[in-house]
Amino acid sequence: MTPFVKYLNITIAGLMALTLYASAAQAPQRIDVKNLNLSIKVDNVVVPLPNEVFGALNKLGPVNWKEYVRSDRGSNFTERPRIALLLGSVIADGFIAVQAEDAPAVKDIGQRVLALSKGIGVGSSITQHAKAIIEYADKRKWENVRHELDLTQNSVQSAMNEVHDEKLSQLVSLGGWLRGTEVLTSVVTKNFSTGGAELLHQPDLLVYFNEKLQAMPEYKMHLLQEIHGALIEVKPLIDVGNQKISPESVKKINEITTRLGTAIVTKD
Amino acid sequence: MKRSLLSLVRRGLFISLVFATLAVTRGSVDDAQSFALQAAEPYVKEGFQVREDYWGGDLGVGEKKAVRQQLFKGNEYWFWMGTEVERAKVSVHIYDSEGKLAEQPDGWEKGHFAAAHIIPKGTGSYFIIVAIEESPEERTHWALVYGFR
Repeated sequence: MTPFVKYLNITIAGLMALTLYASAAQAPQRIDVKNLNLSIKVDNVVVPLPNEVFGALNKLGPVNWKEYVRSDRGSNFTERPRIALLLGSVIADGFIAVQAEDAPAVKDIGQRVLALSKGIGVGSSITQHAKAIIEYADKRKWENVRHELDLTQNSVQSAMNEVHDEKLSQLVSLGGWLRGTEVLTSVVTKNFSTGGAELLHQPDLLVYFNEKLQAMPEYKMHLLQEIHGALIEVKPLIDVGNQKISPESVKKINEITTRLGTAIVTKD
Repeated sequence: MKRSLLSLVRRGLFISLVFATLAVTRGSVDDAQSFALQAAEPYVKEGFQVREDYWGGDLGVGEKKAVRQQLFKGNEYWFWMGTEVERAKVSVHIYDSEGKLAEQPDGWEKGHFAAAHIIPKGTGSYFIIVAIEESPEERTHWALVYGFR
């Protein structure tokens, strides 16, 4: 074999190997999402934590988070679905207080989260996180507080799932999402921007929450029916395809979520 | 009497076996999660907040799974996938709601770890597609974690 042929063979072999490697690693540029369910299993939409949307909102301009720190931590309920909704809402308040770097509010929220978790029977799984929230707030270690709030929500929901209380776990997520959306719409209403309004483009989450609420007929609570109706009302305001979400829609969603937020913290 | 004792022993053994199998299965998905978190570790130093929650299960070779995820424009996300099966090869890719590949080109696949990076052009739902490309196991446990900044 001449050196040239040998060199050519090595080059061809190398190119073939590269092509094989590339084809193994390369993902298709497009997939058929309409028929995705037929070809592979699709999991439910993942509910984001409130601080994900707050982080994106922060990048659009300064927000006076202190204005959104809530001092009313809600009534004492005995019905577990109501406690679950309130718990999600209070954890979201924790993320807001962290954004505002308000240590006393964070500490207060840590205590409240512990009390609510006990009320729902999962107190033991979050005692250490509640303690950590208070300790880190004292030291003003905000990243650690954020992490502990995430751990708290995760521990509460894992404990609920372990005892097959998945529905209560979903209500914790819903409570957090409603409070997050209330604050998001409040911020954007005060200082409208199309970028801020676009953060409301979450139609799959609305569908997800409504499906979950429909699967809870055993909880015969007026509040859950009210939330279900409200989500139906909100959907056309945010599911606008390539159009922009209008200032009027943001204001309307704020009115709806504020009404629900008040209902979650107050006794009927 | 003897027969009922034997039956009790058998039943006990069966229950222990079921619990042992459950423990192994659970342990493996948890192991997969620790590998996914291992892949995420260097990014925490770059300011990514890694979420506590994770998604996992088991898949056969060539099988895929989609996770729908709400992403917000303005944030930057990394998704990390891992498995405890060291000779396996896994992949993770991100598509937008219309099915268009939406990830940054710096995603990577290194044996039983893989990662995908996205700076969303719009707020909305995205599909995270995970797959087991190669594995010596019939079913391979996997876990997916994500972080944002």
